[in-house]
Amino acid sequence: MDAEQVHKAFGELREILGHRASTSPVHRMAYSRDWSPRHRQMNDLPDIVVIPRDTQEMVRITKVAYRHGIPLVPFAGGTGMGGGAVAWNGGIMVETKGLNHILEIDDQNMTATVQSGITIEVLNSELARHRLWLPHQPESKRACTIGACIGCDNDSTFGIRYGKIRDCLLNAVIVTGRAEAIRVGQRKASFSSTGYKVLDLLIASEGTLGTITEATLRVVPLPEAREVRGYVCRRLNDTAKGLERLLGSGLAIESAHANCRNRLHFYTHSYREKYGREPQLPEWADAILFLSFAGDSDIVAFNVDKASRIMVDEFKAEPVSEQELVEGWWDSKHRLEFIPFKQKWPDSQRQKKFGAADLGLPIGRLEEGYHRYLEIAKKWDQEILGMTIYNESPNKATASISFAVFVDDSSQDTVRKFYQYVREMSEMAIELDGTMSTYIGDGDRLGGFNQLEHGPGLKYMRRIKRIFDPKNIMNPGKKFRSRWIEYDQGEHR
Amino acid sequence: MTERKRLEDYAEDIYTCNRTRCGFCREQCPVYHVMAYETYSCRGKMLVGRGLIEKTLSPSEEMTQILDRCLHCGLCQARCALHNLDIITSMRREMVQGGFSTPVHRENVQRILTEGRLLDARAAPERQGQISLYVGCVYRSKPRELATALSVLERLDIHPLIGDETCCGYIVDATGFDKEFEEVQEQFKRTYQQFQAPEILTLCPTCTITLREKYGLPVKHAIVAVAEQLRKRPGAVKRLGFRATYHDPCHLGRMLGVFEEPREILHQLGIELVEMENNRYFSICCGGGGGVNAVDQDLSIEIAKNRVRDAIRMGVEIITTVCPTCEPTLLRAAARLAPEVGTFVDVQGLWDLLDKALQ
Repeated sequence: MDAEQVHKAFGELREILGHRASTSPVHRMAYSRDWSPRHRQMNDLPDIVVIPRDTQEMVRITKVAYRHGIPLVPFAGGTGMGGGAVAWNGGIMVETKGLNHILEIDDQNMTATVQSGITIEVLNSELARHRLWLPHQPESKRACTIGACIGCDNDSTFGIRYGKIRDCLLNAVIVTGRAEAIRVGQRKASFSSTGYKVLDLLIASEGTLGTITEATLRVVPLPEAREVRGYVCRRLNDTAKGLERLLGSGLAIESAHANCRNRLHFYTHSYREKYGREPQLPEWADAILFLSFAGDSDIVAFNVDKASRIMVDEFKAEPVSEQELVEGWWDSKHRLEFIPFKQKWPDSQRQKKFGAADLGLPIGRLEEGYHRYLEIAKKWDQEILGMTIYNESPNKATASISFAVFVDDSSQDTVRKFYQYVREMSEMAIELDGTMSTYIGDGDRLGGFNQLEHGPGLKYMRRIKRIFDPKNIMNPGKKFRSRWIEYDQGEHR
Repeated sequence: MTERKRLEDYAEDIYTCNRTRCGFCREQCPVYHVMAYETYSCRGKMLVGRGLIEKTLSPSEEMTQILDRCLHCGLCQARCALHNLDIITSMRREMVQGGFSTPVHRENVQRILTEGRLLDARAAPERQGQISLYVGCVYRSKPRELATALSVLERLDIHPLIGDETCCGYIVDATGFDKEFEEVQEQFKRTYQQFQAPEILTLCPTCTITLREKYGLPVKHAIVAVAEQLRKRPGAVKRLGFRATYHDPCHLGRMLGVFEEPREILHQLGIELVEMENNRYFSICCGGGGGVNAVDQDLSIEIAKNRVRDAIRMGVEIITTVCPTCEPTLLRAAARLAPEVGTFVDVQGLWDLLDKALQ
């Protein structure tokens, strides 16, 4: 970064924001990484940290960045796994959590209009007073903001019923790299056939087109009752086939997750803490399918009963006999209620770091993908953590898969091996007619290499980026360059 | 008793936080909520801690100011499995050892070392009795409040023995004055022979946790003893009959696990208890903890106002609590907030309520 430009920009930002702009090394250090695997001593320090409070301030910040050619990197929950929120090229880190107001809850039209830095959890606690909720629920919801959900297109526990953020998003305000604030979308309507769907471009844009400052979301009534059940399955493919059959029967399923045996262990921390024992599964079990049902109590009871009969009779599955195990899994997945002073995540990452390849595969190729995962992880010395299949599209079995490993982050070399694992897994996904990423995004890992997936489409994506961000100041490098995976276009011709 | 470690001894915890990044500690951190920079949250501090360990950052006045604005309320630790408070304290020690400390903390430490107490002692409560009671600096500076608490205890047949005492030194330890805290501990031990008793009552939650953790003493907060007495005497108190919420003081609740006894007493007093959303283990600090009210009163008030707003959100106009720091801090904030929101939320101490109900 050009020190003189940074100095000038900081002076101007101070004029606008006062103490909400800082070049302090202490503050910069606090914004030096997200949740992506990297060497444990690696830092990406921004030059300046700013905290805007509204769209107009964001416009003014962007004008300063534009004038001085300094990168702007949005920072929200800081729980992203792809390096999207790190200031790889320095620049101005935009702490979006200052944009944390609810602007309107419209009970009549079932919408909530918010500033983008509000977390899912805070928004939902307010919506609950209206007996409403936003069903887009990533596991990171305590830290994750609405802006991050849009910008990263992250996962949602309830995707099989409500879809992902796109299915809830009605409109949004983005401050583009031209320092213009535009509202895109269809106001409070759910659909529009007019114009191009610019709102869709914001999904998974990772701050590369602009900074999202506001959003209007469709919200839904809070269900009266919820039941969660687990089914032990003989084959991984049974989980997807079973799910299709359940949906085909007319049942309403609220969430569906399939775990391989290994992955179950990771999700049952609270069970082990509470009951002091390891979860037991039959020897023959290949996978476990967790389903939740929500609505009026009698309907939920019927759904549970019918689903159990189908899974047992038609797929020779066994309901999990210990409901405590299922509840323990649900603690980790959704409730996030752990015994005080015993939060789950830190303990699981004391020695090594959680890392994942987040592939999307056609639902008929799960077992093939799983076996390849075991081979590829072994090849790159990655400790296997297990596989979870998320279903993220309404009323159909889909396969957004976390192929997780524990990454040794003690050296650059071991971290590089993890990214070699990601590379080979991504190549496998394309070979199996899938996609490289379903909820992490490109970040600083897949850019350029993603040409393998998009082909000439990537060229058009670059052109779109230039329309929004002619000076390439919006989170530069992300989506189009990788700092981890080298890619020679000739390799795959 | 807890062992004091150096920051480097926590390296594994710090790296674990850096690689975990769950952020569960961040959103509800009352300081972060007001100050907005990640650095004020525990997760942000863990990255700063790493900078100190790896020597990419050094102690500075600015870092001291940030660390001094931690309430030491322990909410982050309740959401975590790491030793967050010990790490933050060890970072504060690094500041002091590096020559950086806030003047008001230095003055307080000096005063405790020379006078044996943090605040002017306006009460002289020494007396003979049956059970040892450690009064603490705050209650000794508040004769009326102390007289009320002692009167309640006497009326419930709890007869405190109060002797000479010096400050427990919580603030000295929490603000990172390591060597000075050793002196304070020695001073405390010299003057406090009556603590050989099998059980010691306390009035201040902060003194309670300090006496237990730093001196290994068998302490019990007096409100627990009151609850035990009232269980034996149903009908001993008259019903006051109003609607209120209860604010769990951080040290009494989250740290010592005293949640139900105050609620049990409120129930006996006929008070309709409306819980705030964040209660018990996840109660939000009043803003007076960790020495923050000494270094930044504006921040302390803003945090307290947010806690009063929590009560308003539940539709109650009375907060009850049982801590000599929480009570005035919340009351001051309620008075400041009233013109902004058009509602005055009263703050009533549990000792005062018991005093009324026992007449």
